[in-house]
Amino acid sequence: MTPEAYYKPRTLEEAFALKADHPEAFFIAGGTDLMVLMRAGICRPSALISLRHIEPLHQLTVGATTHIGAMTRVAELLEHPEIEERYPLLTAAARRLGSPQVRSVATVGGNLANASPCADTAVALLALGARIRLASPDGEREIPLDQFFVGPKTTCLFSQELVTEIILDEDARGTHGVFIKKGRVKMDIAQASLALWARVKDGQCEQIRLAAGSVGPVPLRLPEVERVLLNHPLDDDRISQASTAAEQTVQPITDIRATADYRRQLIGVFVRRALRQICTESR
Amino acid sequence: MTQIVSFVLNGAPVQVPADPHQRLIDLLRGPLHQTGTKEGCGQGECGACTVIIDGRPVNACLYPAPEADGTTITTIEGLGGDNTELSTIQRAFVECGGIQCGYCTPGMILSTKALLDRRPDPTEAEIRQGLAGNLCRCTGYVQIIESVKWAAERLRDKS
Repeated sequence: MTPEAYYKPRTLEEAFALKADHPEAFFIAGGTDLMVLMRAGICRPSALISLRHIEPLHQLTVGATTHIGAMTRVAELLEHPEIEERYPLLTAAARRLGSPQVRSVATVGGNLANASPCADTAVALLALGARIRLASPDGEREIPLDQFFVGPKTTCLFSQELVTEIILDEDARGTHGVFIKKGRVKMDIAQASLALWARVKDGQCEQIRLAAGSVGPVPLRLPEVERVLLNHPLDDDRISQASTAAEQTVQPITDIRATADYRRQLIGVFVRRALRQICTESR
Repeated sequence: MTQIVSFVLNGAPVQVPADPHQRLIDLLRGPLHQTGTKEGCGQGECGACTVIIDGRPVNACLYPAPEADGTTITTIEGLGGDNTELSTIQRAFVECGGIQCGYCTPGMILSTKALLDRRPDPTEAEIRQGLAGNLCRCTGYVQIIESVKWAAERLRDKS
């Protein structure tokens, strides 16, 4: 079955009404994944409901609380000077998402809702402690991003629900953020990726969040590693413990891109590198 | 449900019917007969189908045809200079040996244009990043990077 219609609603209400009329329709954001899946016959929506023309989903405001509209394109995020200044971790991850051509159209909300375990912005946003706002015909709700992902390509979204924005409560200036990704070539999907965010004082992490991509069924928070590091001096011994904890926490699989063992090893190395970097930065 | 999409293609307004499942490349190579844009992988990996939409490089194989409505699109056919001469970027690829079989070339050139329009004086690292979404299987990457540098220099001299 090929989609029999392509709708371009201008409001969320219109989009929900269309979805109610066409339960087998798919919402489409940038389409950089969906277009491939449809062509391969893996996704067979009865119709497409484009989110591109819903103005509020494009709003990006940076302030005490930062709101990133779900339809913000990755390239737009990269070009926003205040995002770069306040959340360099997010910019670093966004820069590694796909190719320039993909970043021109792919959206931040799409990268999350697609729920790929390797989603680059998801890993950075988890480490930044992002919340997301969801909307459905029944109303709106907000959840922490780490409750959003349920399994590979699966989220907690109800069938008529959409991600409308990503919310960052903290201004990350004066904190540390590191994003490390290994792909076979630069633009490739991650074999493994790691994002680390920390607030460091007197050689100790007062606050720390780690997240990893491509090493589990979903983009993973690594609370076990965070516990090893929180409020302890960041010395070589502690860094080794954290690296080992990370290797033990992740649940990678072997697939076309890398073996499980290699991925596990990568994450251990990434954790060590990221922690050494914040040690150097905070000295 | 076919809809008519209107957009500006290489400076001229066009109107063409688009089906819900079609991609921009289907319109370009089909009813619009602009076959300079090549389809390689059809999955957004190789960049052979790169075109410029509203100033940004885009894979035409991933772009829903109905979304072309209201946009401004540049393809390789829109790059020529006056009197059927080649544009500076096209000439650069010829001069520097940046072309072998030629299949990736329209995409390479459009990515180069998108890059140089934003960054007239890119570093080599920026050139490599700008072309990260374009594959060449003749592996003439060294000459391709040289071509971009050559074009950038001459375009800067011009302006």
